Amino acid sequence: MEAAARAPPAPQGQHPPQLAEAVAPPKVERLNQVVQQQLNLESVKTRALGLYKAISRILEDFDAFARANTTPKWQDALGQFSMVSMELFNIVEDIKNVSKAFVVHPRNVNAENATILPVMLSSKLLPEMEAEDNTKREQLLYGISGLPVHMQIEKLKARIDMIGAACEAAEKVISDCRKAYGLGSRQGSTLVPTLDKVQAAKIQEQENLLRAAVNFGEGLRIPVDQRQLPASLPSHLVDVLTVGDGAQTFGDSSAGSYTKNTPPFSSNNVNTQGILQTPGGQLIARSVPSPSSAASFDNASTPPMPYVNSPRSSTNITNTPSPQQQVQQQQQQQQQQRQKVMQLPQHQQQLLVQQQLRQSSSTGVLGQGTISQLHDLPGQTQQKFQQIPGQHQMSYSQPMLQQQFQNRQLQASHMQHNMTQNQINQVNLRSHLNQYSGANSALYNAAQTSPNSQMITNMSASMQSQSLLPRMQFGLTGGHPQRNHPSQILNDQMFGMGASNPASMVAIQQQQQGGFGNIPSNTQNLQPGMVNLPSTTQNPSFPQQRQQNQQ
Amino acid sequence: MECVVQGIIETQHVEALEILLQGLCGVPKERIRVHELCLKSGPSLAVPSEIRLLCDLAQPTPSWTVRHVGGAMRGAGAEQISVLVRTMVESKVSNNALRFFYSLGYKLDHELLKIGFAFRFQRGAPITVTVTSANKMPKLHATDEAVPVTPGIQMVEITAPTAGDNYNEVGAAVSSFCEYLAPLLHLSKPGVSTGIVPTAAAAAASLLSNTGDDPSL
Repeated sequence: MEAAARAPPAPQGQHPPQLAEAVAPPKVERLNQVVQQQLNLESVKTRALGLYKAISRILEDFDAFARANTTPKWQDALGQFSMVSMELFNIVEDIKNVSKAFVVHPRNVNAENATILPVMLSSKLLPEMEAEDNTKREQLLYGISGLPVHMQIEKLKARIDMIGAACEAAEKVISDCRKAYGLGSRQGSTLVPTLDKVQAAKIQEQENLLRAAVNFGEGLRIPVDQRQLPASLPSHLVDVLTVGDGAQTFGDSSAGSYTKNTPPFSSNNVNTQGILQTPGGQLIARSVPSPSSAASFDNASTPPMPYVNSPRSSTNITNTPSPQQQVQQQQQQQQQQRQKVMQLPQHQQQLLVQQQLRQSSSTGVLGQGTISQLHDLPGQTQQKFQQIPGQHQMSYSQPMLQQQFQNRQLQASHMQHNMTQNQINQVNLRSHLNQYSGANSALYNAAQTSPNSQMITNMSASMQSQSLLPRMQFGLTGGHPQRNHPSQILNDQMFGMGASNPASMVAIQQQQQGGFGNIPSNTQNLQPGMVNLPSTTQNPSFPQQRQQNQQ
Repeated sequence: MECVVQGIIETQHVEALEILLQGLCGVPKERIRVHELCLKSGPSLAVPSEIRLLCDLAQPTPSWTVRHVGGAMRGAGAEQISVLVRTMVESKVSNNALRFFYSLGYKLDHELLKIGFAFRFQRGAPITVTVTSANKMPKLHATDEAVPVTPGIQMVEITAPTAGDNYNEVGAAVSSFCEYLAPLLHLSKPGVSTGIVPTAAAAAASLLSNTGDDPSL
């Protein structure tokens, strides 16, 4: 059977075959794509080939039997036969669909089939067949052909009934014999192996286990205390879980020991109790890809930064302790070094600073009584911490810092800022603003020379996040680096930023690069000593300050 | 929505099942190696929900899918149909999905590693047959150390997507396909226990004898 390219049901306006062939040179006619897909001819072909191979294989086997004069295992042979026949049946069914759509061979009349075609199409029986038919009819109606028609019909019906009854009786006898001899039904195997009860029970039990595990997770839950991230995560989870990801929370985890594989973290984690509570904070950090960060932050899964834009202020952050907190708890000894635990918002600023510090080699720590210091999280900075005597050190999650600071701008910044609490509160939003090359050498110098709150404010002033510029404008006093910012101003500005969501923050970051015409790029802007702080100072002052402060 | 039936088969007969499916479906088999993470919503969400994140590890680059399975259809119509019809939503996601759900408050409930193969073909409806062994991980996320939950038994699942109006036809297509597998295993709605089929051994033997030379024959 050939499938003609023109399929009548196909909604394509193809020319009638004869016309097409007569008029144009023979073109290869392809099946309608839709029809092709529907009929799935490829699979039918594959199956037909497979069936052919199977049958030829079976025939070969039988051939071998015949030659070797051995008897085949009939059970297997019958099984194979049933398989083959089933497959054939399926293929034929599928082909029926094809045959409905296409013309059957031969496609057109030509010399070779002109004579035989009428015979093929005719419905009259062959003479021999016709004669046979007649004789059979005579036999059937022998003896009753003289009766009226309705009586003939009745007699024939009676005959049919008798034959039916005989067939039923025969079937009954056969089935009785089958049962008697234990032959079983025709379809099943002769002897159905029965499972003994013990085995059946075992299998039942296993089945229940498996179904419960797959459908409901029974038996798969790891107790909370054992839920620790392994030292080496599988490759598909490495990216997902490690980078600063402390957000993983487990069903029962409250204050469970949640240890993360973050060595550099250790000291830094510290008390970002408040900060780390919101896993969402990660997102912000994430948004700032930093080329340089990759190296510095090995797969420390650092807790995410507190969500900058979260409406919760530092005071409100409580909730269930996040895993980061748990990690921090473990590292409390390191935390002791940090005397100040920055609240959530504050950390971000610190993170920024830390990052910068991290990138830079030197760390200038400005300390004040009530000011928490920003540290570089990465291990390198830890050393710095220790170097800084008697300084409050803020620890914040490394990842937060990394992510935020890794941006180009922070390459050389190693400023440690002591931010007042106020500033920090405001600045938490700025975490992702780290890119903003606010601080630069001027601030750095300032910080180093005059460690006081004023300095800090100045630094923050000089450091501006470019993105903040538009927002920062309001409430910004005229800028000179040494100006004192009332904390309220900072607060306002910070809160102004706070309304933005991470997305906007990211946008801001991007904007900042475009915003400052005179600042070619953030990375470039940060010279050694430049600190990238989310500054609240005015934008215009920034460039000025930069120039002034650059050494 | 999807129609789904599940069954079990002894591990020793899985190869025979594979041959049978290969013959019935006519498509090449696909390897399955899926790390399934089941996340349950935390207390912050009012309505408890369960999300499954599937990471396909069979490909060189892992791809993630998120899947939400809803409640099954109930009622007289559901009782008569031999497959389970339930709502299901599935979508490809990036590998951020896990973190995203964590940040939403979802917590990891359990995880599972499924290793096996699948056949996807069309027979009245797009049908997917998966034969997998469910493996559990002794330690968190330790996919390399996964051990089967039940070493001797594997899970067979047949699913077909359906809409709200044609689930009868799709269910019928799935049921008729299941009949072809009757010699080897019995399939039923998830949650209904089936046991193994006594003819499985014989059927498997005959299927396996198709391949290769068996000198004993």
